[in-house]
Amino acid sequence: MPYRILFLLVSLSLASLSACGPDPEDDAQPVCPECPGEPTDPLITGPSVATDYELEIAEYMPRPILDEDNPLTREGIELGRRLFYDKIMGRDSAFACADCHRQERAFTDGRTLAVGVDGREGRRNAMSLVNLVFNGSGFNWDGSSVKLWEQAVHPVENMFEMDEDWANVLERIRGSDDYPQRFRATYGIDRRSEITQELVVKAIAQFESTIISADSHFDRVFFKNTEFFTEEEQLGADSLFFVENVPVGALHPGCGHCHNAPSFGDNRFKNNGLDDVASLDDFRDKGFGAVSGSKFDNGKFRTPTLRNIALTAPYMHDGRFTTLAEVVEHYADGGHGVENEDPNITGFPLTERKKRALVAFLNSLTDEGLLTDPRFSDPFE
Amino acid sequence: MKYLSAAFLLLALLFVSCEDDEDPFTDGEVELQMNFTGDFDGRDLMVQSEAYAYPGGGQLKFQLFQYYVSDLQLVPADGGDPVILSEIELIRYASATEDNVESRTFTVPSGDYSAVRFGLGVKPALNNTDPNNFSANDPLNENEFWNANARYVFAKIEANADLEGDDIFDAPVTIHMGSDALYRTVTLSQDVSFRPGTDAELTVVADIFQAFGGNSDTYDLTVPANRRVHGGNQNVAAGVFNRLAEQFKLTR
Ligand code: HEC
Ligand code: HEC
Repeated sequence: MPYRILFLLVSLSLASLSACGPDPEDDAQPVCPECPGEPTDPLITGPSVATDYELEIAEYMPRPILDEDNPLTREGIELGRRLFYDKIMGRDSAFACADCHRQERAFTDGRTLAVGVDGREGRRNAMSLVNLVFNGSGFNWDGSSVKLWEQAVHPVENMFEMDEDWANVLERIRGSDDYPQRFRATYGIDRRSEITQELVVKAIAQFESTIISADSHFDRVFFKNTEFFTEEEQLGADSLFFVENVPVGALHPGCGHCHNAPSFGDNRFKNNGLDDVASLDDFRDKGFGAVSGSKFDNGKFRTPTLRNIALTAPYMHDGRFTTLAEVVEHYADGGHGVENEDPNITGFPLTERKKRALVAFLNSLTDEGLLTDPRFSDPFE
Repeated sequence: MKYLSAAFLLLALLFVSCEDDEDPFTDGEVELQMNFTGDFDGRDLMVQSEAYAYPGGGQLKFQLFQYYVSDLQLVPADGGDPVILSEIELIRYASATEDNVESRTFTVPSGDYSAVRFGLGVKPALNNTDPNNFSANDPLNENEFWNANARYVFAKIEANADLEGDDIFDAPVTIHMGSDALYRTVTLSQDVSFRPGTDAELTVVADIFQAFGGNSDTYDLTVPANRRVHGGNQNVAAGVFNRLAEQFKLTR
C-alpha cells in the first residue's frame, strides 16, 4: 500500500509541475525549464533485491556454461523476456527481436535472409535461439560475439535489423512507467539514469539463456524410453546419422561427427562444403575467417544445433536450402574439394530410402512443447 | 573476531612452517609450465597453412590433431608417490591462428623428479562417465564421445590429402581412435630438479609422422579404408594409436 501512496504523491507532484507550464494556447514546449525542483531523474521505488534462478536442465543434457558476469535471476529473466518482445527496442518503437526470432518457429523467421526495418534484407539467415547455454564458441554464424549479452547490442543498431540508436532505446526505457521498476528489481538501481545498454542486454541474455529445448520425440525414445522410433527413424539414427558401428572404409553420412547428440551441434567453425571457390579468398561471406583474421578460416561457420530443424527452414548461414532433403543431398555430394573443407565431409551413396530415413530422423528432433511454452511466449499478449 | 582469526592465521602459518622443516618435498613450490608440442616429421605442425610431404609422393594439410592426457604426473626421483598435475587434459591443435604449442601451468613441489608419466586417452574411470556430467565446454564434452558402447574418442588426426601430387587437397583423412583396450600409459624418463622459487618448464613432443610409422613402416593413406577410421572399427586404428603412444619425447 505504501507504494500506492507514493505513486499518488508522484502523480500529484507531476500534475502540479504541468500546472506551471505555459498556457495550453501557447504552442511552445510541453515542459517548463524554469520550474523549480523538477525531478529529471526521479528515484525509482519498489523492490530492489533479485531472486537467484537456477536453470532446469534435463539430466541427459550437458551442464550449462554460465556467465559469471550475468547471473540469472527471476526478475532479470522476466525483464529480458519483455525487452525481447518489445517493439520499443527497434526504430520508431516498431521492431522487436521477436519479429525475427519467433517462438512458433523455434525462434527463427522462416525467411532465407533476415528482413529488418523497412524490409531491408540482411546477409544471413536468422538463427534459432535454443540451447544457447551450451555454446562456448561465441555467437552468430561466425562467432563474432563472444558473450551472449554482447550479441544483443548489435541487432538494435544494425541497419539491416532494428536500425535504432541505443540512446533512443534507453530514453524510451527510462521514460517508461513499467521498466524502471523492473530494472530496480533486477539490478537494485535507484535512478532511471542508471539504466544502461549493458543492463538491457544482460537482461535479454538472461531470458535467452532459459530457452532450453530438450523434449523431442528423439529424447522420449532415446533418454526417456516413453516412445519408440519408427523403422525409418531408427535406420536414420543408427546407420546414418550417428558414427557408431561404421563398417571399415565405408562412406557414411556421419552427421554425428559435428552434430552429436544430445546438443546436435558442436558449435565449432567448419567449412561443411557449401561453396565451390577457386581459392580461399573467394568466399562471398568469409564467415569465421573475418573474425579470426585467417584466410584458412574463410568459409567456415559455426555448426549449429539441429534441434527443431524441421521448423527452422531455410537452412545454412545464407538460407540456401529450402528443405532437409536438399541438405542431405548436399552432404551426399561431399563438398567441392576446397582445401579447408572439413575432412569429415566425405560424400556418401544416397538412396531414396536412406534420404527418407535421415530426414525422418531429423524430423524427430522437434520439441513441440517449446513452441507454446508460456515461459518463452510474448508477455504482452 | 578479527583478532581471533588473525591469531588463527598466525598459528596456521607456524604449523605449516613446522611441517616444512620435516618434509624436504614441501620445501617450496615451483610454477611448472608443461608444453605439449605438435610436430610432423620434425617440423612444427601448422594447422592448414602448411603442406607436409608424405612418403610415396603425397602431401597432407592438417585440420585437427588432438589427444587426451589422463593423470598427468611427475614421478619423484626417490620413488615416492607421483605428483598428479591433472586428471584430464585435451591437447588440441585445430586453428590456423595458433602455434603448435599447447601449454598448461601447474604449481608443483620443488624437488628431484625422474619422469613425466601420463595415460594416452581417457582413463577407464572417466571413460565410464557420460558427457552429460560435464559442462558443454569441458574437455569431456559430448563432441568427443561416440556413444554408450564406444565411449570417448581418445585421439583424432584429421587432414586433407593430396594423393596424386597435383596440389589439390581433396582426399579427406579422419582417423578417430579410442577404446578402453587402446588406453596406454606413457612414461618419459628424464632427471630434473626443480629449485624453489624458480620457473620450470618441460615439453612433451608428439610427432604425427611417427604415429604414421615414419619412413620405414608408413601407414598407407592410398588405401581408402585407412583414411576413415571411426567408431567400432578400431583394428585399423590400433597401429596408429600404439605408435602415437610410443613416440612421445620429453625435452626441457
Ligand atoms: C532482422 C531480423 C533480426 C532481428 C530483429 C534480430 N535478430 Fe537475432 N539474428 C538474426 C540473424 C540474421 C542472425 C545471424 C547473425 C549473423 O550470423 O551475422 C541472428 C543471430 C542471433 C543470435 C545468435 C544465436 C546463436 O546461436 O549464435 C542471438 C542470440 C540473437 N540473434 C538474438 C537477438 C536479439 C536479442 C535481438 C533483439 C535485440 C535480435 N536477435 C534481433 C536476425 C535478427
Ligand atoms: C564437418 C562437420 C559437419 C558434418 C559432418 C555435418 N554438418 Fe551439418 N553443419 C555443419 C556446419 C558447419 C553447418 C553450418 C554451415 C553454414 O551455415 O555455412 C551445418 C549446418 C547444417 C544444417 C543447417 C542448420 C541451420 O540451422 O540452418 C543442417 C540441417 C545440417 N547441417 C544437417 C546435417 C546432416 C543431416 C549431416 C549428415 C548428413 C550433417 N549436417 C553433417 C557441419 C557439419
